[in-house]
Amino acid sequence: MKKLFLSLLATTALVVSSCSDDDEPEIIEAQATCNDGIQNQGETGIDCGGPNCQACVTDVDPTATCSDGIQNQDETGVDEGGVCSEIITVSGEIAEDTTWEASKMYLLAGKVVVGTGVTLTIEPGTIIKGKPGSGSLASALIVQRDSKIMAEGTAEAPIIFTAEEDNIAIGSTAGTNLDQNQRGKWGGLIILGRANGSFKGDVTEVQIEGIPADDTFGLYGPGDAQNDADNSGILNYVSIRHGGALIGEGNEINGLTLGSVGSGTVISNIEVVGNVDDGVEFFGGTVDASNIMVWAQGDDAIDVDQGYSGTISNAVVVAGDVSDHAFEIDGPEGTADPETDSFIIENVTIFGSSVAPNGEYADYRSNAMGITKNIYASGFQEGKDVELDANDVAQNYIDDILNFEFWEVTGADYTIFSEKVAKDENDVEIESTIIADPTFTEAAEDWTTTVEQDANTVGATLTDFSWTYSNTKGSLGF
Amino acid sequence: MKISFKLVVLAFLIIQSVFSQEGEVTGKIIDADFQDPVAFANVIVKGTTTGTTTDFDGVYTLSLEPGTYTLEFSFLGYKSVEITDVVIKDGEVSNVNLTMEVLAEGLDEVVVSVSVKKNTETAVLGIQKKAVNVLDGLSAETFKKTGSSNVASAIKAVPGVSVQGGKYVYVRGLGDRYTKSILNGVDIPGLDPDRNTIQLDIFPTNIIDNVLVLKSASAELPADFTGGIVNIITKDYPSKKEHTISISGTYNPNMHFNSDFLNYEGSKTDFLGFDSGRRDVPINVNQDIPSTSAFDSRLTTITNSFSPTLAAMKSSNGMDYSVGFTTGNQYIVGKEETNRLGFLASVSYKNSTTYYDDAQNNFYRRNSDTSINELETFRTQRGNIGTNNVLVSGLIGTSFKTERSKYKLNLLHLQNGESTAGIFSQTLNFTDFVNFSKDNLEYTQRSITNALLSGTHTNEDATWTTEWALSPTLSRIEDKDIRTTSFQVEDGVSSIPQNNQPKRIWRDLEEVNGVAKLDLTKRYQINEKDAKLKFGAYGSYKARDFGIINFEIESNASTLIYDGMADNILKDENLWTTANPVGSFIDPDISISEPANSYEAVQQNIAGYVSNEFKLGTKLRTVLGLRMEKFETKYTGEDNRDASDPQKVIYDNESIIDEFDFFPTANLIYELTEQVNLRGSFARTTARPSFKEASIAKIFDPLSNNTFIGNIDLLPTYINNFDVRAEWFGENAEMIAISGFYKKFKDPIELTYFESSTDNFQPQNLGDADVLGVEIEVRKNLGFVAAALNNFSFNVNTSIIKSTQIYSEQERNLRTLGLRDGETLGEDRELQGQSPFLINAGLSYEGEENNLQIRLSYNVQGKTLQVVGNGFAPDVYTMPYNNLNFNLSKAFGENNNQSINFKVTNLLGDDVLSEYESFGATNKIFSLRSPGTAFSLGYSIKF
Repeated sequence: MKKLFLSLLATTALVVSSCSDDDEPEIIEAQATCNDGIQNQGETGIDCGGPNCQACVTDVDPTATCSDGIQNQDETGVDEGGVCSEIITVSGEIAEDTTWEASKMYLLAGKVVVGTGVTLTIEPGTIIKGKPGSGSLASALIVQRDSKIMAEGTAEAPIIFTAEEDNIAIGSTAGTNLDQNQRGKWGGLIILGRANGSFKGDVTEVQIEGIPADDTFGLYGPGDAQNDADNSGILNYVSIRHGGALIGEGNEINGLTLGSVGSGTVISNIEVVGNVDDGVEFFGGTVDASNIMVWAQGDDAIDVDQGYSGTISNAVVVAGDVSDHAFEIDGPEGTADPETDSFIIENVTIFGSSVAPNGEYADYRSNAMGITKNIYASGFQEGKDVELDANDVAQNYIDDILNFEFWEVTGADYTIFSEKVAKDENDVEIESTIIADPTFTEAAEDWTTTVEQDANTVGATLTDFSWTYSNTKGSLGF
Repeated sequence: MKISFKLVVLAFLIIQSVFSQEGEVTGKIIDADFQDPVAFANVIVKGTTTGTTTDFDGVYTLSLEPGTYTLEFSFLGYKSVEITDVVIKDGEVSNVNLTMEVLAEGLDEVVVSVSVKKNTETAVLGIQKKAVNVLDGLSAETFKKTGSSNVASAIKAVPGVSVQGGKYVYVRGLGDRYTKSILNGVDIPGLDPDRNTIQLDIFPTNIIDNVLVLKSASAELPADFTGGIVNIITKDYPSKKEHTISISGTYNPNMHFNSDFLNYEGSKTDFLGFDSGRRDVPINVNQDIPSTSAFDSRLTTITNSFSPTLAAMKSSNGMDYSVGFTTGNQYIVGKEETNRLGFLASVSYKNSTTYYDDAQNNFYRRNSDTSINELETFRTQRGNIGTNNVLVSGLIGTSFKTERSKYKLNLLHLQNGESTAGIFSQTLNFTDFVNFSKDNLEYTQRSITNALLSGTHTNEDATWTTEWALSPTLSRIEDKDIRTTSFQVEDGVSSIPQNNQPKRIWRDLEEVNGVAKLDLTKRYQINEKDAKLKFGAYGSYKARDFGIINFEIESNASTLIYDGMADNILKDENLWTTANPVGSFIDPDISISEPANSYEAVQQNIAGYVSNEFKLGTKLRTVLGLRMEKFETKYTGEDNRDASDPQKVIYDNESIIDEFDFFPTANLIYELTEQVNLRGSFARTTARPSFKEASIAKIFDPLSNNTFIGNIDLLPTYINNFDVRAEWFGENAEMIAISGFYKKFKDPIELTYFESSTDNFQPQNLGDADVLGVEIEVRKNLGFVAAALNNFSFNVNTSIIKSTQIYSEQERNLRTLGLRDGETLGEDRELQGQSPFLINAGLSYEGEENNLQIRLSYNVQGKTLQVVGNGFAPDVYTMPYNNLNFNLSKAFGENNNQSINFKVTNLLGDDVLSEYESFGATNKIFSLRSPGTAFSLGYSIKF
């Protein structure tokens, strides 16, 4: 009996395992459509309206096409613009000076890299979309070292980077189908330069996260030609939405990644909305950035690393339901020099989230050095803090190379400032606080004022952000 | 692989029952020098005229009345042998194999007389003594002595052999790339996308006849091994009708009958070693997953098609058990008694569970401040892991033998399924420690199906032998629905960060392999001395297909509603639907598959060889050989650029390696005395890049956060091997051997980190490397201490190996950057996976009368470089694992046809530990498992 059972068993194993393969499931075809005669996908009428289907208008000729020589759809001209706009797919290296025009829509397929010595010019109002995809397929625009981007939008016609899925039409500044919680639908904008940075082991160049190391267009840092005044071009009135595609765990593309970008570059009037990772991250570099808006990011809003030594001024952070810190500030990783590795963050307004589990004000860590001043903070949950992470940053505070000035907070007071110590992996403190008499929290009383909501005298000039998609979509009232 | 094949037949004394009125004696005669069958030799019962001759295969069968006989074996030019005390019992078959030695010049006749018992014991050593190659063998008998249940655990007893991770064999400290595993002499595909060789734990010992480890090359062997070749030989059919049933059970107090055992709901066929399809990718890989913004109900349908089980569950486990059944017989076909048909069928089933309490897997790094020596935590993971492993094997073999030909057909299927569930607490050092609780569910299914059709033909006087084999193999390893769910835990609140969503991964590796080979042997005479010319051809074709599919689960609801329970995430009420647009769903933004981590490749090897074996004088045997191999790898794959990118690189079955090489070999054996051999050998061998290495694949590993970058420009490594060995063979299977070896590697392939990004690495041809080693092997009967200890014997073998790999420029630069204050950097390091020493020792008792065998064995290997550091990531070493095992077996019953076996493994209760080592720093744990001590009891019966 046992014999029989065993032979049977082996035979079954042989047979079943060899024929259980490759029965691929069938593709599930779409059922809800815009012509199925059913109001079944958030439509406002039958097969029309809502975020998904065409607007409920009755005067569109169903036979209208983009080659009928009549302006009979939502075209902006005869057979051009609107639904008839040309979509240009770009991929790989941009090998010669190129201009992207506002009358067209550009679709980034995978990594699009501005070639060495090449300038990419983008007209105001141009819409650039990124294809979906994660890992090695994440789409991104990379302005590599020794190349330039000239993206000069205007308040009325910002340059928009968004997801392919966004139903934004040429000539408009927003689509209707996505909101700030739609994240990770494409990669992001990455600008790399040759300005100073302080890297682990004092290497002179490193690979930006998210790009495999054999793709040398991902390198940033001086290499053999340091240039603190390096000019990567101009970013002005640029809105970056729904990005941050995942590369791997804890490895995503930021909305705007700036690696060793030099002070010759202009970065102003930038908005990042609904990115999985950080809003804007500065890896070393000397560039100044002003009028920066970050809304509903998945991680930190403004992130500074590797001895970034520029000035970030007039910025607004509006945390979302899943946001982390407003500021996450790390110091130089290699040899540290307060003269060349200190940041300035000034005139920033940060609005916290009432629900985000990890929605903290700020974290200063890893030898962070610089000054954070004229900050207005409001709307954070109780218990959230501005922390000095461990003794090394506390020592920088004592040594006067990490400073805080003029903070105003609503709904909290100076006790949000807190000195922490390093812990081991079992949550056991392995050092004790070193700032005494006054303690860090006590000292914070000097630079912190509690004010009523919107009674702040420091912070960002909110009206500078009235152009933003965040302001419109989020009804922020700037 | 002729030598190994001979060993199959050279089995030990087997007593079998047949239903006839007389007994039978059968066996095989082998030429001691050449290890070839001695055809047409005379076998006569001493003092009678009753006798027979061997067939071309050296096999004889003789029917006799019950009684005790002396058999005489003789053949022209050989020393005659008398075997005394051959007992023939009613209805039984006795097996007497022997090795005959060539007469020394000028001698008329020599008769060697030995008892049956001694003849049997020395059989394996006899093979070793005369073999042309430096080899070590493990017979089925040894498996029984050591109590090993699979090849991986048994093979550790061979000198210079170590096993990593319980699966991968290293010979003389050279692993994977340099050690090759073959089945019945032919190539088989691997089962690991990252390795070339097969995992040996998949072979249960009860379908194995023996395992041979060859450490030096000869022309008829493939040239792509350097450390050694492990040849796994499956059971041959028996000479008479025989059935065997065996059962065994293992109890480990640390692991079994444990109510904390972890598991998860699998499929109905898990107990048979495969998944019923429940863990298949539930949707088509080309499925377009709608975004939430599309309000498309398909998103819910798609999400619903995934199993909602994400959490590991506590459940009780039992103990390990296995059952096996083997049957075989041989029939005379037609009128000719020489026409025989044999068959063998063997099935086995093993079901085991392991449970590790507080298992650890940690990542540490060096501080960026080089004045700080202590390592800093990067990530720690501690938790409990439950694993259920099912191994089913089936072997069917049949053979047909005529007077001058023999045909064999073997079919083998191995089926293995391993289901793992773990719950971990993780801390990640993002400067602050962030705590996670993590559930991990895994299922890995492995299978191998191999067919072997082979033939042997000989001419009338057996001076020509032709052997051929055709062998297709299909192997497959699938990781099916690996589920990882992490909750960030802060102040008692569990949430899922956006950048750490639950993941589900499928990996599929399929290899198809075909081998055809033809070997011809011509025996002739040079200067009136025997000589042997061998030549042949070999062709192999290997194709691999590898792909990864992955999904993530996104939630646009607050993840706090899951309460930190993984199984809540895909509960019906928490799913995104068009009516409930706040919930969890399959993330449409994650690429299901990426071209850059999938590839297909084909390797073709066409080889021809010629070798000549002859004697110079009476003492020096010489084998000179030359092998030619034409090796080609063709690659199909694409890079990660978009299809519209003009720079996109696509390889469509393009030749990336195409080499034609000569591999000379020389083996010299000098018979200093009857007992002492001196050996020397030289061989040129190669190590070729694996499918994965010679590729443009870019594969991100979520566990280590490392990215592997293939290198399509890799060159094969060439190695010059030198071996010397002195060996002494004494009475009672005693022996002492001392070997030395030196290997010089040109363009060795090692993984190298990028300076600009230390979590990216790539295989590269590095600077030259050397391996130098000494091996000592002693087998000694303890009778010399006191006569009472005559039944005790002691064996020890030790290998001391020094390997030297000169740092590559990148590695030196990175290591220099990470040097601590006061630390200096040398020129070189040891090879990865290279153990500086290996020790195997054993004390055995073998009772002649009571059929009792007892063995205490000990095995340890020195601190071994496991993960090569890069300056800021410290080196990881596997620490010595002191493995002491006890085994007792006793045969009893009628004709000793039953046996019981009792085994205790890991008597010392040692832990399996790997640690980070860094200058001036306390060692930190990289991985830790406590296997505990296990007790096994087995029973088997033959009838």
